[in-house]
Amino acid sequence: MKKITKLILLCLALAFSNSIWAQEEDDLLAELEGELEEPIYYTAYSFKSTRIINGHSIERMQHRQLDFRINHRFGQINEGGYALWGLDNAIINFSFEYGLTDNIMIGLRRGTNKKVYDLSSKFTLLRQSTGRVTMPVSVSYYTNVSYKTQRGFLDLPDIRDADFVTNRLRMGYAHQLLIARKFTEALTIQLSPTYVHRNYVAYGEQNDVYALGFGGRYKFVNRVAFMWEYFYTSSHNGTADNGVTYYNPLAIGFDIETGGHVFQLFFTNTKPMVEDAVIAETTGNWTDGGIYFGFNMSRVFAIPSKKHH
Amino acid sequence: MKIKLLLIAIFTVAMLTNAFAQKYITKTGKIDIFSETPAFTIEAENRTCASILNTETGDVVVSLLVRSFDFEEALVEEHFNENYIESHKFPKSTFKGKITNNDDIAYDKNGEYKFDITGDLNIHGVTKAVTQQGVITVNDGVITANIEFIVSLKAYEVKIEKAYTHAIKDEIALTCEFSFETKK
Repeated sequence: MKKITKLILLCLALAFSNSIWAQEEDDLLAELEGELEEPIYYTAYSFKSTRIINGHSIERMQHRQLDFRINHRFGQINEGGYALWGLDNAIINFSFEYGLTDNIMIGLRRGTNKKVYDLSSKFTLLRQSTGRVTMPVSVSYYTNVSYKTQRGFLDLPDIRDADFVTNRLRMGYAHQLLIARKFTEALTIQLSPTYVHRNYVAYGEQNDVYALGFGGRYKFVNRVAFMWEYFYTSSHNGTADNGVTYYNPLAIGFDIETGGHVFQLFFTNTKPMVEDAVIAETTGNWTDGGIYFGFNMSRVFAIPSKKHH
Repeated sequence: MKIKLLLIAIFTVAMLTNAFAQKYITKTGKIDIFSETPAFTIEAENRTCASILNTETGDVVVSLLVRSFDFEEALVEEHFNENYIESHKFPKSTFKGKITNNDDIAYDKNGEYKFDITGDLNIHGVTKAVTQQGVITVNDGVITANIEFIVSLKAYEVKIEKAYTHAIKDEIALTCEFSFETKK
């Protein structure tokens, strides 16, 4: 081919390559997407609140969000009609939990059962994600310190309020690693290896108790989810030397979410609500009606920042 | 012979100048969403919207991550993402359009220029044609576009439960500010 013809053909090719205007906009969007780094899609809303039922979930309060909770536990259902199947007796736990940062939450709680106060903190360690970074699970670490202020706080008749019952003996501790995976919009499952320690226990009981929590939710309509939570306490269930029988705590119920509140309605065999007592002092028995109806309510507020638009 | 070569050269250069059209880009475009009823205020901002503006043709594309809208109230953000905009199903929102009066804008001269834009807006998996007017400000090589859209939630198939329709307005105001720089 003559040189000049080649040149003409080259010029025509270039000219036509620039005149495909119709595709320009689609190409431009593709060009824009090409400029952007693939985002990390963090999984959110694995649970609707910071609790499964008795125990904590991996969810946290973000920066400047305050969760006000009132947890009710009524009496045992096997108390019969006279006591309105437990409704006449209620113990309450109320707490404030606040996000210091997006990943650190602190809490203060007070319960009527044994007049116990506790301070807690929860740290978000890993967040489940897809996209640029894949993380299969969300992991949080929860810990608390509890202090029973009731003067005679042991239920057993051979112990009275004595001088030896110092401040230190009124304390209990809990440490939990919370590992959860949101499988679908409806299903989330969490494992909670737990360790609790009570400084003072009755004769025949153990100070250290280990447990493995297995819980989750199944959200079957937009704002309602079925919840369950079971703690297997390998070192603790069965009858202790002092004749008291402890059981593994199991709770099942529903989470109902309205515009600003999350309500939890459930049945459980555990009366106390602070973690060390939930794991180590559950005396209710599912097979003989030793179960309690519980009702938790959570309301999240945003503490406004100083800046205003 | 020489004239032929010259003509070809001129022809080629004329065609090639279109290949190096001026494209401007931003990855920090700002979009504020706002909607107020006596019961409820939806207020959020997204500061990582990406966009390319082709000043030669007036073509504009925008892409943003819906989860990047920051709300002051985590609860409102949760409902926005989980129940309404369903960002787990539709993580991105895009716009593909053209400035129809592009020839009236002197991108190389400092000043303020009104612009008309028409394009396709994709929200919640639904694409609708939109037309709007905005203002472009040129200042020493930085092109800033300011524009406001009013978007109807119903049009984009965002479902609000009957119990909350009094609390959430159907119309949401999108206030956009994009500052473009030359794409390298």
